[in-house]
Amino acid sequence: MKTLTQVPLGTQVLFGPAVKRRRRLERLVFNIFSRWKYEEIIPPIFDYYDVFSRGMGAELEEALYRFVDREGNLLALRPEFTSLVAKTVATRLQDRPKPLRLCYCGDVLRYEAPRGGRQRESFQLGIENIGGERIACDAEVIQVAMEALQRVGIDRFQFNLGEMGFFAGLVERFGLSAQDLSRIRRLIDLKDPVGLQAEMERLQLSPRRREVLHALLHLTGNSETIDAARRLVRNEKSLSALDNLAGLYAELRRRKLADHLTIDLSEVRGLDYYTGIIFKIYVPGLGFEVGSGGRYDNLLKNFGCDLPSVGFTFFLERLMALPLKLR
Amino acid sequence: MSNGLKSEEILSVALSKGRLQDAALELLGRAGVEVDGSEAGSRKLIFQDRSGCFQFFMVKPVDVPTYVEYGVADLGVAGWDVLLESEADVHQPLDLGIGRCVLAVAGPRSTARKNYRELSAVRIATKYPRITTDHFTRQGIPVEIIYLSGSVELAPRLGLSERIVDLVATGRTLADNGLEVIEPICDVSARLIVNRASYQVKRRAVSRLIQQLADSLNR
Repeated sequence: MKTLTQVPLGTQVLFGPAVKRRRRLERLVFNIFSRWKYEEIIPPIFDYYDVFSRGMGAELEEALYRFVDREGNLLALRPEFTSLVAKTVATRLQDRPKPLRLCYCGDVLRYEAPRGGRQRESFQLGIENIGGERIACDAEVIQVAMEALQRVGIDRFQFNLGEMGFFAGLVERFGLSAQDLSRIRRLIDLKDPVGLQAEMERLQLSPRRREVLHALLHLTGNSETIDAARRLVRNEKSLSALDNLAGLYAELRRRKLADHLTIDLSEVRGLDYYTGIIFKIYVPGLGFEVGSGGRYDNLLKNFGCDLPSVGFTFFLERLMALPLKLR
Repeated sequence: MSNGLKSEEILSVALSKGRLQDAALELLGRAGVEVDGSEAGSRKLIFQDRSGCFQFFMVKPVDVPTYVEYGVADLGVAGWDVLLESEADVHQPLDLGIGRCVLAVAGPRSTARKNYRELSAVRIATKYPRITTDHFTRQGIPVEIIYLSGSVELAPRLGLSERIVDLVATGRTLADNGLEVIEPICDVSARLIVNRASYQVKRRAVSRLIQQLADSLNR
């Protein structure tokens, strides 16, 4: 039988030095997590489809491995950990003292073309910080991520920090259909000013709105970017997003971590469950981000418990592609 | 720079061999990135500009998005057709306006006017399976794709398929083979594409090049 010897697309086997390297990497990162009092949680590899489908965004929802059990329930293999951690906290751990600090590592499964060092089955390592004070917890999560990178010998890295509320506030009053909005988002994501211009003309947006969206493409840089953004908008939601970002920036500067930060308000891609800050982690020499994270204040509500949360995850295969010092 | 990163000022650029090669180098020259004629003309696959700030790779056009997506090249110049077909996850900040042509469905003059919407399925020979499938299925027309890697215009003459999807610049190649455009799919020109991480990590150098290119396009 052919299926006995060939491998399904998107799977991988590790052995030899690769296993040693990966286990050492996990252990070093987990050392940092436990130093910050993050407790490991091992969630199931599958759960009901609905647990994952809420708030993931259409693109990832399509990537879910779905199946039906004998009773006819629709199930899915986990494509990420955050939903499972959120569900567990909301249903089992809600009475624990806050903030709850949890960490995890394990496989996630996504039905997508193997690309960028990521197979259909890939490995994630991350933390969730639930129910704490906003800016302090955002800063803590970012600090943990930075310390973990340094612990494995990566000293040069860049955290691109954005705020979902800024763009949401901007387009809220445009009255665009979901389809038009996703087209605008896609053009901003491509950083394509010409395409954006054409689309805005098609939608007959006012000159002021065009100017604002156009400026959004270039809202990337140091802390002055926040001031530049403030001059651009008047709506309350965007302004409060900027206040939040400025607060976090100041807190990270106080912790002497601001050197690694780039403010990036042009980042409009991310899981739909993110509500506040989002960040992506870049390391020079690697063409893909090695991790990402953000705040998801509405996710736990889905599971019947209203707690604000923030977290991040590393994409392990991508970290492994870097020259690490695993001592 | 306040950033903790030392900015790597050297940018690597993947260029398409062939149709777009000269136009892309000429455009870069106008934007202030000068390459010795002897370097570019010497069929070297890797060479630098005069300032040493840019390194160029000459690769097959269809491979440009791949090199850029994986960050082996920070930037690239790729035709819109190739980009669309590859579905590469890259930034696309500029339409460079070079290599203009049309991606179109074409067929023999005798049957070009026949409405293929009434066929039970359309058979198409093409280098662009993804774009072609998308184009037909979006209209609700079942399509059978015959993938070819070149000389697609021969397919109808040799009886492989009645219709093709291919790039049309002047229409002369089509005419020489007794074909004409049935339906345009999209306009094609070359785009500047940028790796997502390079766009962030080498932001200064990348933005500067984009600005220089944009300025020279507007002149």
